[in-house]
Amino acid sequence: MSQNHLTIALPKGKLFEDSLQLLAKAGWDCADIREDSRKLVFDLPQDRARIIICRPTDIPTYVENGAADIGFVGKDILLEENKDVAELLDLKFGFCRFVVAMPEENLPPRLPDGGYDLSALNHRRVATKFTRVAQTFFNERGMQVTTIKLHGNIELAPRVRLAEMIVDIVSTGKTLRENRLAEVAQILEATTRLIANQVAYRIKHQRISELTGALRRFV
Amino acid sequence: MQKTVLKQRTPAGMLDILPEAAAVLEKLERDIMELFYLWAYDRVITPTIEFAACVQPESDGEDHLYKFFDRRGRIIALRPEFTTPIARMVSSRMRELKLPLRFSYSGNVFRYTTDDRPREFRQAGVELIGSASALADAEIIALAIEALRRLGIKDFQLSMGEMSIFVGLMEETGISEGLRAQLENALSRKDIVAIEQLADQNRLTESVRKILLRLPHLRGGVEILDEVSQLSNRPAVAGAVENLRRVYDYLGEFGVQDAVVLDMGVLRGFAYYTGVIFEGYVPGVAFPVIEGGRYDRLYDDFQNPLPATGFALNLSSLVTFLPEQKAPEEQETVDGEQAGQVIRRCRELRAQGRRTVMALR
Repeated sequence: MSQNHLTIALPKGKLFEDSLQLLAKAGWDCADIREDSRKLVFDLPQDRARIIICRPTDIPTYVENGAADIGFVGKDILLEENKDVAELLDLKFGFCRFVVAMPEENLPPRLPDGGYDLSALNHRRVATKFTRVAQTFFNERGMQVTTIKLHGNIELAPRVRLAEMIVDIVSTGKTLRENRLAEVAQILEATTRLIANQVAYRIKHQRISELTGALRRFV
Repeated sequence: MQKTVLKQRTPAGMLDILPEAAAVLEKLERDIMELFYLWAYDRVITPTIEFAACVQPESDGEDHLYKFFDRRGRIIALRPEFTTPIARMVSSRMRELKLPLRFSYSGNVFRYTTDDRPREFRQAGVELIGSASALADAEIIALAIEALRRLGIKDFQLSMGEMSIFVGLMEETGISEGLRAQLENALSRKDIVAIEQLADQNRLTESVRKILLRLPHLRGGVEILDEVSQLSNRPAVAGAVENLRRVYDYLGEFGVQDAVVLDMGVLRGFAYYTGVIFEGYVPGVAFPVIEGGRYDRLYDDFQNPLPATGFALNLSSLVTFLPEQKAPEEQETVDGEQAGQVIRRCRELRAQGRRTVMALR
């Protein structure tokens, strides 16, 4: 592939529309790109580029291995996947928070500062999609917990006693409330990021910095 | 004994190299070691196993060593690279030799990574020990470029930076150790977002922000060095810029300047690299195939303070990338009723240097 040609990975799902709109604002011709079609590769000869559509959690893998030069991906996924990619720009959309949540009827005691005292939760089980993020959070507090890796519907775990707490991403908190869970600690905030393969970042620098500059104007 | 499932597998990250790939690897290695020889680098062979204390990187959050106990309970490790073992060797056994020393090596290195990458791969590289001159830096970079050319790679790029420019600028700003460590970590990971956030959160002065937000993006030919100079008038920074300019000029004399991009964003291994630093990229290979630079503090660890520079080339990553270069060599098959005759004929042919297969009846 020539040094002037870019492959850009877009995530299916909740970040797709915003990512596409941002590219369009930056002057890219994205009119034909659809998430709902079976098509996964879209050529944009005019922009000397192609767009590929991937599962969000796979985007760091595509980019790390150079199958895509550029990717749009949530910081939550970047942290969990921990791949060797260059992180170029905070695109500011797709805001969500990583939180620790527990059943409402079983909350830990409050601290004087209003937060929850998690110290009694040592050796408890934490259900999560994000085991790395969860382990790092508890380790940094000198706590030992057991993480239980799940792939979806994390809220279910405490209700059926698979785990005492969960670590998950929330955007509005509605899902937590519906499942009678309450946030007891925030781990961190995440937004969508523009990432690049570390070699593409150097050898396609011109094109990548043009794209970064163009996107920066609209975030 | 039964062949269990385990017996047919290899441990994670360990690969068999089959004849076709092995032939390519061998050819690459032979070409490159010949080139190193031509530049007067003497080959050395260090042990596969070293004391972990010797090869343990000082600032490595995640430990990537394969470690074992020896019979006396000391921790030993498979070598993760060659530079430190060579520093140990030079410092313990070659103190009397006239400087500078030029050594080359090739061999397998082992990294106990947690991802799915191969954990054993083959490197070839050089070390130039005992010279701090810009000419030494230029020699190493020119040799790195000649190595890629020698391997028949037409399209590649070598990006060159200078650790002491950034380090010098940071010292001038007087920011705290802790923040500096965070910034260095972010720069090593090429996490531009984290750098911007750290600059915002810590209410840094305008000049410091400018260095942090501008420097990693400065990239191009010699003209960018003027811009770097404007960021500071500190002698250390001016000296580093001047040094880089000299190296770049020498690379012109070596006839390799067209392959080099000056890139102030090439910053990594802050505890290790001290001067000119570089990476070689080949389109189609997702990781740098060459990593190198000046490391003037490593020999301090062996009570033998010496400046040094060098690079390592990841041969394994090129094998899958390069098309098969070599037609299978011609060979002859000798067959016959009489084993004695067949053996004698094979011996004759092999004595003439011809590759000969003996048919087995």
